[in-house]
Amino acid sequence: MVTKSRNAILVSALRVSALCIVLAGFALAQGGGELRFCLHSEPKTFDPLKVEDDASVSIRYLTGGVLLRINRQTQALEPELAQSWKVSKDAKQITFKLRSGISFSDGTPFSAEDVVYTVRQLMDPALHSPTGDSFRSGPGIVETRIISPTDISITFPAPVAGLDRQFDQVAILSAHSPKKEMAVLGPFMVADYKPGATVLLVRNPNYWKTDAQGKKLPYLDSIRLDIQPNRDVEMLRFKRGEVDLINSLDSEYFDKLWQIAPQVVHDAGPSLDSEQMWFNQVEKSPLPAYKKTWFRSASFRRAISEAINRDDLSRVVFRGHAQPAVGPISPANKFWFNAKLSAAAAYSRDAALKALQGEGFQLQNGTLKDKDGNEVVFSIITNSGNKYRERMATMIQEDLGKIGIKVNVVTLDFPSLIERMTQTFEYEAVLLGLTNTGLDPNEQMNVWLSSSENHQWNPSEKTPETAWEAEIDKLMREQASSADARARKKAFDRVQEIVVDEVPFIYLVNRNALSAVAADVQGASPVILSPQTFWNADRLEVKGERLALK
Amino acid sequence: MPRHRQFASSALLQKIARHSLALVATVLLGGFLAAVLVRLAPGFEVDERQLDPRLNSESVHALVQARAAPHNIFSFYVRSLERAIHGDLGTSISLGQPVSSLLRERAPLTLRLVALGLILSWTSAMALGLSAAWLRTTAYDALTTVLSGTFLCIPAAVLALLSVLWNLPGALAIALIVFPQVHRYARNLLAKAYNLPHIITARAKGLSESRILFWHVVPVVAPQLLAVAGVSVNIAIGAAIPVEALCGLAGVGQLAWQAALARDLPLLMNVTILVTLVTLLANSSADVIGHVLRSQQA
Repeated sequence: MVTKSRNAILVSALRVSALCIVLAGFALAQGGGELRFCLHSEPKTFDPLKVEDDASVSIRYLTGGVLLRINRQTQALEPELAQSWKVSKDAKQITFKLRSGISFSDGTPFSAEDVVYTVRQLMDPALHSPTGDSFRSGPGIVETRIISPTDISITFPAPVAGLDRQFDQVAILSAHSPKKEMAVLGPFMVADYKPGATVLLVRNPNYWKTDAQGKKLPYLDSIRLDIQPNRDVEMLRFKRGEVDLINSLDSEYFDKLWQIAPQVVHDAGPSLDSEQMWFNQVEKSPLPAYKKTWFRSASFRRAISEAINRDDLSRVVFRGHAQPAVGPISPANKFWFNAKLSAAAAYSRDAALKALQGEGFQLQNGTLKDKDGNEVVFSIITNSGNKYRERMATMIQEDLGKIGIKVNVVTLDFPSLIERMTQTFEYEAVLLGLTNTGLDPNEQMNVWLSSSENHQWNPSEKTPETAWEAEIDKLMREQASSADARARKKAFDRVQEIVVDEVPFIYLVNRNALSAVAADVQGASPVILSPQTFWNADRLEVKGERLALK
Repeated sequence: MPRHRQFASSALLQKIARHSLALVATVLLGGFLAAVLVRLAPGFEVDERQLDPRLNSESVHALVQARAAPHNIFSFYVRSLERAIHGDLGTSISLGQPVSSLLRERAPLTLRLVALGLILSWTSAMALGLSAAWLRTTAYDALTTVLSGTFLCIPAAVLALLSVLWNLPGALAIALIVFPQVHRYARNLLAKAYNLPHIITARAKGLSESRILFWHVVPVVAPQLLAVAGVSVNIAIGAAIPVEALCGLAGVGQLAWQAALARDLPLLMNVTILVTLVTLLANSSADVIGHVLRSQQA
């Protein structure tokens, strides 16, 4: 977070220098034009190590220089500021060979000292950032060693799974620049920030990359990021030709745009994100004992899963722009998805009812009752204002009504929902989504470990309460301490199988990665990974007149 | 100084003192009530970031601790006031920036929106009210009344959405929200004033309309219109919240909306105090000026 004094100085300094930078930018203009799109919230920080919100992540992606970058199209790891790298067999140490002759945006030379400085800042225990926490696999100190001005090794106290891929999120800071985090190595740099309104990025004149013809990148002269929380306004502005890109496009808007200008919309297929539902299995929750018994029964959960028609959810709620979900990993995650898992739980009302009857449930006059005669009634809570979740909940209500289960749908604002999920446990079932930003299953570690706060169906278990949770704990720890990709894959494949079998989460759909790119933007190739439309921002150009769509 | 003037100025001073006292008490109470309501709102002690699966237990605990800070809301409020006296309004929980700088950055836009909205609404309301009083045509009067009634029936959020849809300035949405309220009172007051015997006589004697308006009508209706002016400021400020939130305008209204959604106690408390202060100042000023005008007329 930007501190009080630093923030004031930062904003003033940005404003004072904005004109100079913009004028300098004009002098150095490549003729690639200005790209415009919306951030959906205020960026909370420009410090790349403290980034946690989406707006700041976008700015970090556009301005930060990283040692290694995951190619958003091929999902392969590619060298950036490091020209080569090597991970030790025990997954504790990584050695980089850095490129030479590179400078930060303010002209400060880039060296191994900057990497050391960045890693030390990142691993400060007081930082509490998601990026830093991803590297923290065990207690102890991280050691950095400069072997030569261009060679450096970093040793972690415990094995870090997917160590090299995690450097995709680490933007290198300058150890010596007086501009601190505002001196960057990425294709763009922050030139102006009007709180609540816009962030202006201009091309970094010292960016090190060139294209195949030797022309300096980026092509674009600037990027204007309008802070616009309202997605409807964003859509209107896109239609008016005022913004060029929309990420995570709404499926309704996708269809509307497709009708008037099919060339501007892109459906890249299933994304990494999933929509899921789960039951409250917390022993200390204030639910009646008989309900806890239902929710803690894998057979009950499996039957509910079987009674939900995922094809209808995809077709009706998402207008076909979603795929029935198979398990915790989307098929879009090419390496980690367990291809042995059969298609999504087949919808079968009869099979679901039969399974429930096998557990002692009885259908009497259209109402399902358990063996003690309790009517099967529960409520699903979801966040208000999310029309897709509200519609999904209504369709689930209809599906379960067909087997005699009465479902009440309750929408709550997000803070109230989180309070019930994490503190009071006053809920029966939740319908929410999981946004996966990374490909590696280690990013979900805190969801699967039974001791974790984010083990949502039953958080912070002192010891695993079931055998299958104990097995997941063991497998997740095993894969996290191994550098062998095949062994890790084998362990996580098994985790996926257990999850599909025990159904702690009822995975519903994987939404498609929908986006819109204006016709005047050249070089765009939207992908499923974030940031969908501007992953290759240094090679985008805006040419021609901005036209309104009619 | 003549005795009646001495009496008038002392009454005025008493009125100003009463208003100042009420203003301070209301602002303090308003701020406290806002703080209590936010503190008691469900979800106050949680942070959306807790759900980030990349955060480890220590980081989640740090987030929980940061949110759980003010257990005693009264002592929190007193401490906040003490800090506010020294110019420190605290730090926004959701935006991570000093509240004072957030308000400083956003207030000019809201003030501009509200001022423009008020000018537009008052100009149109007075123009329609005066023309109806001058023309005295039933059809025209009905037309203007229907027009203002229509805007009165449309919710503020719908007007804001229409302004987004048709790419109209946010100030116009505020003007359309305030207009029917002002028009109703202005029309009635003006119609009543133009029916006063001395004004009918003046018109019969052929006095110019501008002379009748400024010499005979304005002095009669000014004190009541001033009271409406105070209320219209309240309406305009209230309208700024949905208009800014829906139109994506970065003013204090949008900030208040975001603060409410994020249970941002320091921000919401200060925004409430600021809004209460501005609305009470507007109402009190209108009342005091009205009092002066009435005294002069007497």
